[in-house]
Amino acid sequence: MADDKDVLRDVWFGKIPACFTLSPEETTEREAEPYYLLLPRVSYLTLVTDKVKKHFLKVMKAEDVEEMWFEYEGTPLKWHYPIGVLFDLLASNTALPWNVTVRFKNFPEHDLLHCPSNSVIEAHFMSCIKEADALKHKSQVINDMQKKDHKQLWMGLQNDKFDQFWAMNRKLMEYPTEEGGFRYIPFRIYQTMSDRPFLQKLFRPVSPEGHVLTLGDLLKELFPAAICAEDEPKRFQVMIHGIEPLLETPMQWLSEHLSHPDNFLHISIIPAPSD
Amino acid sequence: QAMSLSITPAQTAAWRKQIFEQLSERSKREMENFMHYEQAIEQSVWVKKGTM
Repeated sequence: MADDKDVLRDVWFGKIPACFTLSPEETTEREAEPYYLLLPRVSYLTLVTDKVKKHFLKVMKAEDVEEMWFEYEGTPLKWHYPIGVLFDLLASNTALPWNVTVRFKNFPEHDLLHCPSNSVIEAHFMSCIKEADALKHKSQVINDMQKKDHKQLWMGLQNDKFDQFWAMNRKLMEYPTEEGGFRYIPFRIYQTMSDRPFLQKLFRPVSPEGHVLTLGDLLKELFPAAICAEDEPKRFQVMIHGIEPLLETPMQWLSEHLSHPDNFLHISIIPAPSD
Repeated sequence: QAMSLSITPAQTAAWRKQIFEQLSERSKREMENFMHYEQAIEQSVWVKKGTM
């Protein structure tokens, strides 16, 4: 039987093949070839696309270039969501590679945050980790770490160094045995058609009666439509890292093993394919 | 105390098995046919150059 630690590796090393194409709306000096890349699911688009930018800049005039941004089938891609979340939410059940359009003009100010440098991504990432630790341990673990420890978490993600990241991240995953889990589970639920960016609520891993709470318990509270009776067709898929965990899966286990490096469990709820 | 070699209920839990199976299917689906693609993050390699 495989070890639970293998799940951490599978999650970290998950990659999505992507084909980047320049938007026909961009002005170029000559035709731009598409650019193919394997994207880490747990990273951020603007952190891993320097090569894409360099590739397309070769065919463009400097005056036609503004901040690079991406879209998929007309939807701007939020760089501050992990890549795997964007894919699960918008492109699950479609043929691979994932076709992403590259844009350099008409930045959608209402949909996207600007990302002028990697330090903006680092600030976002660290703020997520801090929020997650506030939920899990009242910020005690993250506040006990030194600046260099915070840097180690970021550098681990930036340079795709699993061991470097987990040497520090394991501290953020500890909890007193007698409590059976974290204080609250850091999670976010995303839906395709919603005015709200995501759902987030205080949710404990164990009930006041001492029962282990599961993914099904969370959905019952936050998104009951995702739970269907045995005799009715499935309306929604509940995806985490491109898989559909069973509703009996304990939330504490999911939080420890299927959280993103930002320490949040990102759950995408998408309409089930009709075929 | 002797170590028990019996399989604990947690190890045989259906939800756990299903996660392992699905992760393995995911790797096949998303990565197997695309390993020739360029990696977004290059792994830096330390190269030690000697002069002697």
